[in-house]
Amino acid sequence: MNFSDSKKKLALAGVICGIVAAILALQGNPGNMAFCIACFIRDTAGAMKLHNAAVVQYARPETIGIVIGAFAIAVATKEYRSTAGSSPMIRFVLGMIIMIGSLVFLGCPLRMVIRMSAGDLNAWVALIGFVGGVATGAFFLKKGFSLGRAHETNAMSGAVAPVLMLGIFVLSVATTLFAVSESGPGSMHAPIILSLIGGLIVGAVAQKSRMCFAGSIRDIILIRSFDLISVIGGLFVVMLIFNIATGHFSLSFAGQPIAHSQHLWNILGMYAVGFAAVLAGGCPLRQLVLAGQGSSDAGVTVLGLFAGAAVAHNFGLAASAAAAATDTTEAVAGGPATAGKVAVIICIIVCFIIAAFNKRQAAK
Amino acid sequence: MRKKELKLVVTFHTTADAMAMEKACKAHQAPGRLIPVPRAISAGCGLSWCTELSDRECIEKVMKEVGIEQEAIHECMV
Repeated sequence: MNFSDSKKKLALAGVICGIVAAILALQGNPGNMAFCIACFIRDTAGAMKLHNAAVVQYARPETIGIVIGAFAIAVATKEYRSTAGSSPMIRFVLGMIIMIGSLVFLGCPLRMVIRMSAGDLNAWVALIGFVGGVATGAFFLKKGFSLGRAHETNAMSGAVAPVLMLGIFVLSVATTLFAVSESGPGSMHAPIILSLIGGLIVGAVAQKSRMCFAGSIRDIILIRSFDLISVIGGLFVVMLIFNIATGHFSLSFAGQPIAHSQHLWNILGMYAVGFAAVLAGGCPLRQLVLAGQGSSDAGVTVLGLFAGAAVAHNFGLAASAAAAATDTTEAVAGGPATAGKVAVIICIIVCFIIAAFNKRQAAK
Repeated sequence: MRKKELKLVVTFHTTADAMAMEKACKAHQAPGRLIPVPRAISAGCGLSWCTELSDRECIEKVMKEVGIEQEAIHECMV
């Protein structure tokens, strides 16, 4: 099915992804997380013991499914193209920045939209930062920012990311090598097979629709095109209906699952994510899909996401969630510690340096 | 809904090339506009330059003059 020949079909793509997210949330994925790419890569990094945060360790079949689903549909529809060579190490750094910014806010752009649909006002505040970051990236695109063109490469190079993902899945179900959280968000998950199927569907639909959270806002700013935002709109509406129908909608700052109300850091975290995502050519979901359809550059960005998750948890950069007081514990305001705040500032500075010093070269 | 017509669509290797194309066409008063790459052409998420079929020569001349290399030039329904 061609999802992109009309806005209605693009919105349908978003609706399908929203339904998948709603089912996975019903079946056990953490509250307001459902299908967060950054959180799930972080959990997978934890399962592989790249970090030791015991509450966020689980090889999420959803992220694995997205890459394999995008790969399968790209091969089936002859859109698989093995490409590489567009400043891979800069993309690695941008991947790290996207992850660190996401973990300061506590969610990638996809989770931001899911949280918005549940009435989490912290996510609406973070949207300001995300749009600002995308707008800054778009400004530098207009000024000639470029990481250089990718070139066709050996077909096998582009297939490495899907094969590695398949390997992680096999190891997670057939061995006890990986860590699995016994409590916290990492312990909350839908049945493995359902998660995998959900990932495959989202991967295929996202590949066909070119779903991208950063790209949708970038296109509005640069060319006044509302095509890609239609996909996000479809997803938002489904999740809004789901949250209202299941009693999960709560319009407030406080009491939201896995969230904090440090507004400045929610804004700056997502500013870094939006800025870095535009420079890298797509949000975390889009990077997984591009890696699946043969882009080794996107594959390196995904490796950067994994490294960013490890750094964020090993060095205490990730924010903590707010928590109400209980009989035995005091209330926690949540938010990033000093290290996380410093890291976000450094990430934003690095984005400006990358944006300012990588210019397009005219063809000779 | 707007009726689709056969148009000339130029795709680029990078988004920066597309942005440079917009700037160059404005400066040279060449026709066309930036659009998302039509889904029928490629799986990329970049931008492309869309204009009338009859503008092909004019567009190619501008690109040569300012040093913009196209990925491909297509004729497709937009």
